[in-house]
This record gives sequence, structure tokens and C-alpha cells, in this order.
Amino acid sequence: MTLTLKQQLSTPRGILAFLVKYNTIFIFLLLVIFSALISDVFFTSVNLSNLLKQVSGIGIISIGMLLVILTGGIDLSVGSMVALLAVTFAILVNIFMLPVAILFTIIIGFGLGSISGYLVAYQKMAPFVATLALMTIARGMSFIYSKGSPVTFTTVGGQYMSNFANNSTLGVPNIAIVFFIIVIMAMVMLRYNVFGRLIIAIGSNEEASRLSGIKVNKYKFLVYAISGALAATAAIIVASRTNLGSPNMGMAWELDAIAAVVIGGASLNGGKGTAINTLMGVLILGLIGNILNLLNVPSYPQQVVKGAIIIFAVLLQRFESK
Amino acid sequence: MKNSEHEYRLEMTGISKSFGVVSVLKNVNLKVKSGEIHALLGENGAGKSTLIKILSGVHQKDTGTVVLDGQEITPKNTHEGQVLGINVVYQELSLVNDLSVAENIYLHKLGANKTWMNWKGLIKDAQELLDSLDFKINASAKVKDLSIVQKQVVEIAKAISEDTKILILDEPTTVFDPKDVKKLFNILFKLKEKGTSIIYISHHLDEIFKIADSVTVLRDGVDTGSLAIADTDKDGVIHLMIGRELKDLYPKRDVKIGEVPIFEVKNLTAKDTMVHDVSFHVKPGEVLGIAGLGGSGRTETAKLIFGADKKKSGTLILEGKEIVTNSPVDAARYQIGFVSEDRKEEGVFLPLSIRRNISVTSFDSISSKLGFINVESEYKKVLGLIEKLNIKTPNSEINVKNLSGGNQQKVALAKWLSIESKVIFIDEPTRGVDVGAKIEIYKLINEVAKKGVGVVVISSDMPEIMGISDRILVMHEGTFYGELPKEKFSEENILRYSIGEPLKTI
Repeated sequence: MTLTLKQQLSTPRGILAFLVKYNTIFIFLLLVIFSALISDVFFTSVNLSNLLKQVSGIGIISIGMLLVILTGGIDLSVGSMVALLAVTFAILVNIFMLPVAILFTIIIGFGLGSISGYLVAYQKMAPFVATLALMTIARGMSFIYSKGSPVTFTTVGGQYMSNFANNSTLGVPNIAIVFFIIVIMAMVMLRYNVFGRLIIAIGSNEEASRLSGIKVNKYKFLVYAISGALAATAAIIVASRTNLGSPNMGMAWELDAIAAVVIGGASLNGGKGTAINTLMGVLILGLIGNILNLLNVPSYPQQVVKGAIIIFAVLLQRFESK
Repeated sequence: MKNSEHEYRLEMTGISKSFGVVSVLKNVNLKVKSGEIHALLGENGAGKSTLIKILSGVHQKDTGTVVLDGQEITPKNTHEGQVLGINVVYQELSLVNDLSVAENIYLHKLGANKTWMNWKGLIKDAQELLDSLDFKINASAKVKDLSIVQKQVVEIAKAISEDTKILILDEPTTVFDPKDVKKLFNILFKLKEKGTSIIYISHHLDEIFKIADSVTVLRDGVDTGSLAIADTDKDGVIHLMIGRELKDLYPKRDVKIGEVPIFEVKNLTAKDTMVHDVSFHVKPGEVLGIAGLGGSGRTETAKLIFGADKKKSGTLILEGKEIVTNSPVDAARYQIGFVSEDRKEEGVFLPLSIRRNISVTSFDSISSKLGFINVESEYKKVLGLIEKLNIKTPNSEINVKNLSGGNQQKVALAKWLSIESKVIFIDEPTRGVDVGAKIEIYKLINEVAKKGVGVVVISSDMPEIMGISDRILVMHEGTFYGELPKEKFSEENILRYSIGEPLKTI
């Protein structure tokens, strides 16, 4: 007896409900229209591809953040991990062949995430505390290994990566393609895979999950490890764009990632959130920055606007839950 | 003087309320005298809670009038309701876990008119109040350290700590054992003598006939009648509730019970709870009842076997082979099921859809090696169970939090019925469930038994456990005190074993 779209849109109440349900997508579309109206530069391919390049790194860690938040946790370490792993990748790519460097960086990311995962799942440490510690450790290590200054790519492999990261395929930046593939993988996993179903179940009621015979600890461990691996992927992309790995990369990215997930309608209590909405959250945040840049608004007011948008988005979602 | 002018202290007339397009109450009347215990009955979803929420100020009525002591009232929120003297003890506990009992009782008054706290006075007042209720609870204890029964008592204490004209109790005894129920009734009788009007919501008809003076029955948002309790009987009330005569609450089971036990427990002792030296067996097709007082260790025993609590010693034997269950994951692998008594906290995933709730235990059979779910077989399985269990819902995508208690319980059961269990523990199968859904759940238990599953039912509801069990074990202080074969089933025998007394020899 579900209403068809046509029936739903035939009453004012129905239209409101429809708008509220898909609010992130509407905010996104509104922003696109608004941007197109106020700036003639916005709809140029140069600007759009810049926008996509800018959001891809944060976008990838946002997907990891979404998985963690779905279980009811949080991962504060991802920004610092991007720095440490970018430095790691720059060092590795100067020593090993490119595929080996990529593989090792991702494995190290997975390993670092596993530390948070172990502390949260098996030592019952609060996610905020465990990942806060990892955040400090990772940032410190990135400075130690880089001796405080950026590590530049020097080999052919590095050059290849740099070309890849700065070029486009069919008009879409390569790194954005990587981001979109990760979003699609997350969508599929959350919808059609047992892994996704179970982490949502755990986030919505951990005790009921445990009593349903679900391996709660294993899945909680895994989401942090995956978040680490995704931080490594983001690190490789970011480092390749600039041809170097710097300990100053990814500053406060964890906060942008959390903001993107929240704007995308996920609940910090866990159990609610989708990959497509997180993608919208990432694009909304990116768009705001982009428009404000086009309007020559300085960076401090930009932060104020960003904060206001987060509040607005979350207030809108309260209608939905009613 | 004024009060006596009105025959009724509370008159709710022509109350209607709809949420969106769903009409929940249609022209409902409820009249309560002062010093009266008035039962409000109806199946889940009949509109009892909404009516109460309108009275207490949570919801606002669409039409109708509410008159209290001759004055029309329209409380806009619960605070206004409380000021008018209307207090509700809800089914869902609303205590602050990290505060003390005393602070919880006086929570609404903390900080009013004063700058500094008078801790001593607060605790003293609270303790006196609790002592007068005849339950042993320390007013300075933290609420999180209390048992669920004690929490419910604190909830009641909180409601009557005010100057209460109308006290509303929504299923107050679901967590109580018979001894505690008696104490609660004494409290209610005392309040009644003082002239408090009590509206009492319950599914336990026995209770209603013990304490109520009159009764109003709701069905599908319409009141089907108000009667003095003396003018009716159980069948009459059930007829008003479900619109049909109730032939048999406990449907007959036609099952041949196996000879060899399917599951056996020997000398099981817990590490962290009082459960010790528990031994029993259950045969295929048998429904074994576990009775006992609240806190005697029944739930803990089931959780211990299921691997949710830690064991110290003991042996589990499934189909003749020794098994080890160190976690619920192990238990589930051995096809042992467990339906928790705490439906909302431990049983279902409230914010998730019915489909997602049910399929959570059965991914093994509906997904590929890599974990990809075969959506078609998932729907088939879930829709089949919705139909079989008669879960009342328009489709499988409705969130479980929007279902009535009875339908939520069916979802919790469906989770374990969707996989082939060998033994299933069902803790309080019908707590907070209406009569219609109860019968359906009993039928379901029969069907499960018929398939050769060993069914273990834990229940505080005496008629229920006697009605559905083939054999009853009675727990007392963490271990089984006695066993009752069917011919010895009686409330008295169960109670005697529960308190550690031998049976009377005739």
C-alpha cells in the first residue's frame, strides 16, 4: 500500500514529506542552481573539475567515517593518518616500484586503523578516546619520519602517480573517479552485503546484535581498519596531486569528514546513514567552499558559513524523524 | 465541598485524535470517580496510550472535552498535567540512570525555589516514601544499580511523591513477580482510600478483577463500553476487547514428545551471577516451563547457556554431543535460539525495518560466500514469516518501532524462527502483549514444538506457564528447587517452590 510518487506529490503535506526525506539531495541541487546563477565561472569545466579534485580526498575518508559512525563509533585519527600515510607513501614510492608502494601504504593504513579497532572492540575503550590518541600519535610520527619537511617524489613511479592524479578521463578527474568507485562500493556493501547490514544492526542496537549471535567485536574492529585503509587511499591521492608527502596534510580533515557524514543525515548514535547521502554531504561542503571562493569571500567567514550549514542541515533532518 | 458536587472527578467526553491520516481515537468517553481504581483495557494499538497521553498533556486532542473537578482542562505539556495533579507511570521507564534514587524521585522539584541542595532532607524524604511502599530500596543508591523491579517502584514513588489527583499506571506489573504485585496493590489500595483516582492499564485480566472498581474497554480507537467490575466477568471483558468470544486462550498442542533429550545441562554454574548447579534436560517437541520469582536467576540461566554470560563450570550436551558456548556466536552456530525478555533493549532493532530485523540471523542461508545477499530470497523468507506469524503491517519495510508491542514480539520471535533451531529459549514470551497476539504466539510455540525443537519458556505469568508447559521447573535463589509434572500444576505449588518451600503432602 505504499503511495506512488505521483500520489505522494499530489498533496502539500506529501510534497513536504518528500522534500524532507531527500533533503540532502535538494540542498545540493539548490546550491548548484544558486552557484550557477551568481557566478558565470561556476559551470566551467575547469572549476567543476577543480571542485571534484578538492573534495575527493576528504570524500574518501568520509566514507570510512560513515562506516565507523554507522556502528555508533567515531574516528578522529583519519586526518593525521592522511599526513602520516602521505609521508609514508612518498618515502616508499622513492624506494619501491609503484604498485608495491601503493599496496604497502594501504596495508599500513589498514594496520594503523586496526590499532583503533582493537582498542575499541576488544579493549572496550571509548572510540573518541582511542582515536584521539591515535590522532596525536599519527601526527607526531608523520613529523618524525619526514623530519618536519615535505618528502618529494623523485622516481618515475612518483611521476606516473602525479600525472594520474592531475589528469582526467572523459572530462572527469581521475581521483574523483577513484572516489566515486569507493562510494559505489560502499553503497553496494551497505545495501546488498552482510557486512553492511550487520554494522547497521550493531549501530542501531549493539546488545540485540550480540544476542542475535552476531560477531559484534569483529565488525567493530573491521570498520576502523577499513577507515584506516581508506585514509591511506586518500593519502596516496593527496600526495600524488602535489607530488609530495607532507606532515601538515589532512589538518582537521576528520572534522570535515564528520560534518559531511552528519550533513548526509547519518546519526552519530549509529544505525542510520547511507553512502549516497554522505557523497551529497561531501559535495555540499565542497560547493559552499567553491562558491565562497568564487565570490572572493575570505576563509574565516567561510568557516562561519560552513558551521551554519551544518546546523541548518541537521535541523532539517529533525522534521524527518518526526 | 466542591468536589462532591460532581459525580465524576474526571470526565473525558467525545475525545478524538488522529495522527496524519490515521485516526487513533474516535469519540471516546472515559469517566473516573474519586477514590476509584478504573481499569482501561484494550488490545495493543486500541488507543489506550494515546488517550492517556492526551490526559497527561503529551498529545493534544482534536475534539472533545476533558473536565477535572468540574473545570475544563487542556494541558499543553506534561508539566502542566503534573501541576493539575495528573501523574503517569509509563511502561517505558523514564529514570536517569546516573543519579541516585532520591534525586530521581524529586527530579521535577530539584532546583525549584532554592539555590542550594538539601541532600540530607532529600534522601530522608525519599527513604520515608520508599519505606512506606514496603519495598527495600536505598534512597541514596544509584538507579543504574537497581533491578528492573526496583526501578519500576522508584517510578511509582516518583509519581506519588506529588500531590496526585489522578495516577495513571501503564502495565505496572509486567516486571513484577506475584509477591511484588501484592505489595503494589496494597500501595494502590492506600492511595485509593486517600481519594486518589487511579487509571490502571493492564493486559492481566486477573489483576483487573482483583483491584479495579470499574472498567472501560477500547477497541480500534472506539470505546466499546464502561462497566462496573461487579457487573461483568472475564469473558464479558474479553468479548468487549476483541469482539469475539474467547474459547481457549491456550491452544491445544498435539505433539509426540521424543524419548531422548535433545538438550541437556549438567551442573552449570555462573562466574558472575548467582546461578549455580543448574541441571535439566528438554526433549524434542517438549515445552519446558521455567518459573520462579523475579531475580531468582531464570533469565541469567538462559543467558548463561546462550553464552551471553560467563560460565564457571558445567556441561552442555546437544543431541548427545558435548558443546561449548563461550559467546552467543557459538550458541547461534549450534542452533540454540534465545528471545530476550527485554524486547526493546535486547530483542529487536527498533529503528530498522521488519525485513532487516528478521534477516539478521539468517544471512547464512540467503547470501553468497562473499556475503552478497540474494534479495529475492530475503524478501521471500521475510514475507513468508510476516504472513505466517500474522504480523500486522502494510509491508516489510515498516520500522519496528512503529509496530505495537505484540507485533514487535512476533518480529523478535521471527528472527529465531527464520533459522532452524534445535533448542529455543523464550524469556517472557507475551510480556506487554495483548490477548489476540498472545494466542497467536502460543500457537507459534506449539508449531515450533511440533517440528521437534526443544522449547524452554521462562515466564512470570502463572496461568501462562501452566497453560503452555508440559513440565515446569521452579527456580529459587539461582538453582532449580523443584520440578512439577503436568498433574501437579497449580499456582500454589509453583509459589511454594519459588520461595523454597516443599509441596504440601495431602
